Amino acid sequence: MTAPAPEILNELELDALTELVNLGISQAANNLAKMVREEVILSVPKVTLVGRQEAIRILAERDSKSLVAVHQVFEGDIIGRALLIFPEARSLELVKAVIGGNLPIEEIIELEQEALAETGNVILNGCLATIANLLKRKLKISLPEVLRGESSLFFNLQPPPEAGETVMFIYINFAVRERNIDGYIAMLMDLPSLQTLKVLLGDFIRRTAGN
Amino acid sequence: MVARDTDRQDIVLDAIDAGVIVLDRVGRIVSWNAWMESASGRTAAAVRGKTLTETFPGVESGRLESAVSIALGSGASSILTHALHPTLFPLRSRAGRPLLHDVTVTAIGHQTGAGCLIHLTDVSRAVRRERFLRERQNARYDAVTESAPDVILTFDSEGIIQLANPAAGLKFGYGMADLIGQSATVLFEGQVWKDTWQALIDGRHLRQPVELEGRRKDGSLTYFEVSASRWQTDSRIFVTTILRDINERREILAALRHSEAQARAAASALTELNATLEQRVADRTAKLMETEEALRQSQKMEAIGQLTGGIAHDFNNLLQGIIGALDIVEKRIRAGRIGDVDRFVQGALTSANRASSLTHRLLAFSRRQPVDPRPMDVNLLIATMEELLRRSIGEKTRMTIAAADDIWLVRCDANQLENALLNLAINARDAMPGGGTLEIATSNAVLDAPQAMARNLKPGEYVRLTVKDSGVGMSPDVQARAFDPFYTTKPIGQGTGLGLSMIYGFVGQSGGAVLIESEIGAGTTIEICLPRYRGDLAPQENVPKETVESRTDRNEVVLVVEDEDVVRLLVVEVLNELGYLALEAADGSSALRILQSSQRIDLLVTDIGLPDLNGRQVVDAARTKRTDLKVLFMTGYAENAAGSAFLEPGMELISKPFTMEHLALKISDMIAR
Repeated sequence: MTAPAPEILNELELDALTELVNLGISQAANNLAKMVREEVILSVPKVTLVGRQEAIRILAERDSKSLVAVHQVFEGDIIGRALLIFPEARSLELVKAVIGGNLPIEEIIELEQEALAETGNVILNGCLATIANLLKRKLKISLPEVLRGESSLFFNLQPPPEAGETVMFIYINFAVRERNIDGYIAMLMDLPSLQTLKVLLGDFIRRTAGN
Repeated sequence: MVARDTDRQDIVLDAIDAGVIVLDRVGRIVSWNAWMESASGRTAAAVRGKTLTETFPGVESGRLESAVSIALGSGASSILTHALHPTLFPLRSRAGRPLLHDVTVTAIGHQTGAGCLIHLTDVSRAVRRERFLRERQNARYDAVTESAPDVILTFDSEGIIQLANPAAGLKFGYGMADLIGQSATVLFEGQVWKDTWQALIDGRHLRQPVELEGRRKDGSLTYFEVSASRWQTDSRIFVTTILRDINERREILAALRHSEAQARAAASALTELNATLEQRVADRTAKLMETEEALRQSQKMEAIGQLTGGIAHDFNNLLQGIIGALDIVEKRIRAGRIGDVDRFVQGALTSANRASSLTHRLLAFSRRQPVDPRPMDVNLLIATMEELLRRSIGEKTRMTIAAADDIWLVRCDANQLENALLNLAINARDAMPGGGTLEIATSNAVLDAPQAMARNLKPGEYVRLTVKDSGVGMSPDVQARAFDPFYTTKPIGQGTGLGLSMIYGFVGQSGGAVLIESEIGAGTTIEICLPRYRGDLAPQENVPKETVESRTDRNEVVLVVEDEDVVRLLVVEVLNELGYLALEAADGSSALRILQSSQRIDLLVTDIGLPDLNGRQVVDAARTKRTDLKVLFMTGYAENAAGSAFLEPGMELISKPFTMEHLALKISDMIAR
């Protein structure tokens, strides 16, 4: 097991990243709120950089081993995979929260796959695009794909990112229509991407400080 | 060239069976393929250069705009699904039906900002198929659940109610819409539900219906029997429960249990009552019997008091005879005139014997006379008594004896039977003051059940002895009281009234019964039934009349135990005269010392009542070593020896007073055996 690579980013850079993530998540929440015409609160209590195995372990330690993830690939100066991860048992609630109303359960199940994909898409896009914009970079982001399974599956997708051993682990809390759902955004990046990120964060810090 | 390329592109795009829109970097439509023309009813020419909002003025633009702007700005791809946007664009199929569609927005080119592609996919067919399937499924489900009297609830894996049928709302007091989305714990509480739920979620089957406590909206409790199963679609787990209302059943059961408990309580109370009743009856009976016994005893005591007049007089007369005769004997002996002394001795003996007989009657009456039952022939007994009877009844009364041949043996005390016969004969004589006929008859009788019952006997074989007179007879009233002690119809002084009651007692002791048949003026028949004895006649003389041979040459040793010196002296005298070696002991312990020594003893003659160890105890102790020791018990009365049951083989009994001859006969008989 490779050790986590938090040393790649210094404390200042990590703070900057956390701020970026928060801005991105806020944008995602706005986008979502527009869509569902309800207040949506997405909060980010914590951002960490962990090793791939550590990420698998953290998720495996949750009550429910069965997880659902919305997966998108991003390409540009930074290459990686983004995953919005929920316990599978909560995904229906997420869908219900987004759809609203009292739809029969079968109908919700039917809509679940698409609704989950779109919701994840809105959140991940909002987050990634905002971060990319703030870092003055373009990211080509794929369409979403819904995955189900255990955490190890999500972090061993083929083809593996080259030396993609680092996971930016964002713990998020999602509140809409009196429902609270905890989940994660995980961004799996390779080392060159992480180094690029470090450079971009440095630029961002300089710009912000310069202002 | 460029135009040709554009034409070629358009041709390709038109061939795609999906909607394709291309926007330039500022969101204006540059391409609009044939599919879009057909679905939207807008030609490419009409929309080219416009934005999507301009093209579809009523479109729900927020999400679409942000998707486009994010694609153009960041290069991010977006998906807008029919699930969240059921009517994004107003599209129609070629048949004019609403066209359900998903939309994706992706950036074009390696460098973002070049424009974006909007791709619309017709999902109508898939959605319709799904809806059709669902509706068909729902129809089936609804058909079952809507009309079901049972509550049917479907929960998701978190225990949230997803489906509820009308019965559910009704039974729990909720509106159906209120139930959906509620947690199961709102309706069910307690460990039973927890266990049941866990079992279901774990995929275990409920082996049997579980009784569950539910809570209505108003807080009241309601009871169900739950059957449930887990099911799965995709990877989702659901639990559908069917809850049968068992409130009524519970009430009935409770009522049943209550009434059962009541019945049980009543039954146990009854049992207890019965038990105490039985106990009370037993107590009362015992008390009654005690009282009766006490009454009988007091009657006897009273009788003895009453008897004192008559019997004491008789006894005094007899004693007078004895004392007078002995007086004379003494004087004659002293004077040397022993010539006719025999006559007076005989007179004294006669008086003494009569006194003995009198005490026997008293003892028999008081039931303290030891009964010495032996097998015997009734005919033989009558024959030996015939002369006595004739003399007793006098000349005016004719007597006939009709003895049946082959009469069965009976087992009873010969003396008492003699007494009984004598009593009956005298009674008969008294009933015929002017003379008449006395008929004595014997016969074998087999009593059937009614006959036996009339005599208070068990059915079976009996020997019947009847004494019939042709006298005055008895009224039913007199008959009813005939067996009562001291009841007599005779003038005072002529009888004690004990005759019949003594007969009654003796016959009863012997296992038989006495029956009176009488009518005023038509005479009286007394019938005595004695049970047949199945066995041999013992070689036994009933009444010893002969003299025992006076000497024996053998040196047999007899131990005499008697605390009364005079009696011991007499017995030893008899033994000496018979030629036996007599040893004496005045109490039980000194007797036992002799018995436990190696001294030869052929016979033990012992009183039953002794100062220390009683006779029986002496015998029991002695017999542990001398197992075959012959024993002759002497007794004045035999309270301890009721009946002869206590006599073991090699033991016999002689009642005081006895004649020396009788004693001698008994002793020699026992030693010889």
